[in-house]
Parts: sequence; C-alpha cells; structure tokens
Amino acid sequence: MPMPKGFKSENGYSTKKTLGGKSYHEISSLMSEKGYKMNHSTARNVFVSSLEKIARDVVKLYDIAADEKSINRISKDPRFQDAIVSFMREISHEKE
Amino acid sequence: MKSSLDVYFKSAGSHKILTREQEVDLAKRIEAGDKIAKNIMIESNLKLAISIAKKYARYGGSLEDLIQESNIGLIKAVEKFDWRKGFKFSTYASWWIKQAVTRSLTKNSSQVKIPSHTLSNARKVWKVQKEYRENFGCEPTEAEIGEILGLSVKHVRQAFSGIKAKYAKSIDERVGEEGNKTFGDTLPDENAKSIDIILDNQKIRKVIVSSLSSLTKREELVLRMRFGISETDEEDKNIYDVKE
Repeated sequence: MPMPKGFKSENGYSTKKTLGGKSYHEISSLMSEKGYKMNHSTARNVFVSSLEKIARDVVKLYDIAADEKSINRISKDPRFQDAIVSFMREISHEKE
Repeated sequence: MKSSLDVYFKSAGSHKILTREQEVDLAKRIEAGDKIAKNIMIESNLKLAISIAKKYARYGGSLEDLIQESNIGLIKAVEKFDWRKGFKFSTYASWWIKQAVTRSLTKNSSQVKIPSHTLSNARKVWKVQKEYRENFGCEPTEAEIGEILGLSVKHVRQAFSGIKAKYAKSIDERVGEEGNKTFGDTLPDENAKSIDIILDNQKIRKVIVSSLSSLTKREELVLRMRFGISETDEEDKNIYDVKE
C-alpha cells in the first residue's frame, strides 16, 4: 500500500515571494560581500535560529511550556513569520 | 407663574365665536380690503387653530411651533374664504389649518427633505405592501405595487427611497438622558481593535524589540534581507539596536 512521502507542514511554508525578501542564495552572496562568508544553507540556518531566539521569548511571555522541537516548528510557521515581519516593518518605519 | 403658552391660550379664548352673519359680514369687508376685519376674523378663530394644533402635537414637534403653523393656515383660509358658497368659516378653515400643520410635520420629521407627494406615495406603498403580505404571504414586486396604485415603477422606487430617507438619523443627534453624547458616539467602530488586542500587541512588540536587540549583526542582516526590510544602502543602519 503506497504511503505519502516526506513531511508537509500543517500551515504551509513561507517563501521569498510571500515574505517579500530575498532568496537564501541571494542572501548568502550579499552577506559574503559584506564580509559574513556563508552559503545558502547557512543563510537558512541563521534565519531559522534568529527566529527561534524570538520565538523563545514570545513563548516565555505567554507561559507556554515549549520544547526545542516546538520552538523550531513555531519559528518556521508562516503565520509567526508574518507577525514578526510586520512588527519589524513597523519598528523600521518608526525609526525612519 | 404662567407660561407664555398659557397667556396665549387665555388671550385666544377671550375672543367670542362669530355667528354666521358676522362671518359673512367680515368676509365681505375682507374682500373689500379691510385689514381690521381680517384681524377680527383671525383672532376669533385662534381657538380653532389651537385645537387642531393640539391634535397633531403627539406626532412630534413642539406645540408652540405647531400653533404657529396652524395660525399660518388660518390666515390663508381667511384670505381665501368665499362667503358665497354658504359654508361656515370653521369648516373651510380647518382644511387649511390641517394642511399647514401636516406640511410642517412632514418637513421637520426627517433630516432629509422629502417632497410631500413622495411621502404620500410612500404611505400608500406601505399600506399596499402590508395588505399584499397578509393576503398572499409574500412581498409584492415594484411593478405589482405600481399596477395596484396606478404609479410608474420609477415613482414606486422614489417612494421606497422616501421611506428610507424619512428614517435617516443625524450622526450628531444628541442621545441619552443627559444628552451629552451624540448618536455617532454610540456607533461601534468596526475597524477599531479591542483594548485587549492593543495591550497584547504592545507586550509582544516589547518582547520582540528586546529579542531583536539580542541578535547579532549577522543574524539581523539575514532576517532583514529575507523579510525585505530596508534596502542595501540602509542595511548598515542599526535599526533594531543589535550587538555590533
């Protein structure tokens, strides 16, 4: 009996298009130009780990017991990323 | 202490009711241009104007205003009365007075000025709708209403608009017992966020701002590039107070 292969996120994925930013390849080359040498996988790892840092603090705010796996899942959730991007944009606009 | 209205009622009541002969005599003098006769005719019928105004006071508007309007109707009746027809003046005048009072009520009952013929059609349309619903258990179409009333579909539509406009309320109308609020103040703002959401957002924002400042410059740059926040020339600015 054939079974579906691979893992599919419940809430989909954020893409370059949905986030309105750059691809990991573009980021890695731009970052390398700036002196932060990295390849596209590192760019992705840095991106996810940064979001995990934020997710950890947000989870603390709501007193939710979340293990590292849940934190990782939250950080990859497009709804979480959408919320973070809107806050970051807001702060950025205010500073401008 | 007597109110000005009581004083007015007393003065209006002090005039005697005219006999038919006196009415005819005065009407003849009015026709000849006698202003004193006109005044006597008006003053003698002020009680009639008051009694009609009182009947309409329950439909809205202050009694003082309605008495004013009915007096205008009375003056018109005095000017147009034809004694040759053989009717009593009060019979003729009451139509003019009623017309003046109902016109005034129609004019002031709505925020939007609606022509009286449209309102009259609206009343008829309303009645037909009600009867049709009772008899057939469904709403009549505009064409059916028009056919029953002998009106065009355009006039039926105007009547419907008239009904809607009649009940239009001013957003600045004072409401409440103390009248310290306007109608607009009581309307919910559907776009407004609840205070819980606002407070929640403020808390999250605080946490996110502090989280962002704990990121390294490398992490912050990757986040900004991925999210498309600030273009390359501004990327060196330390927007989120990150560690250099």
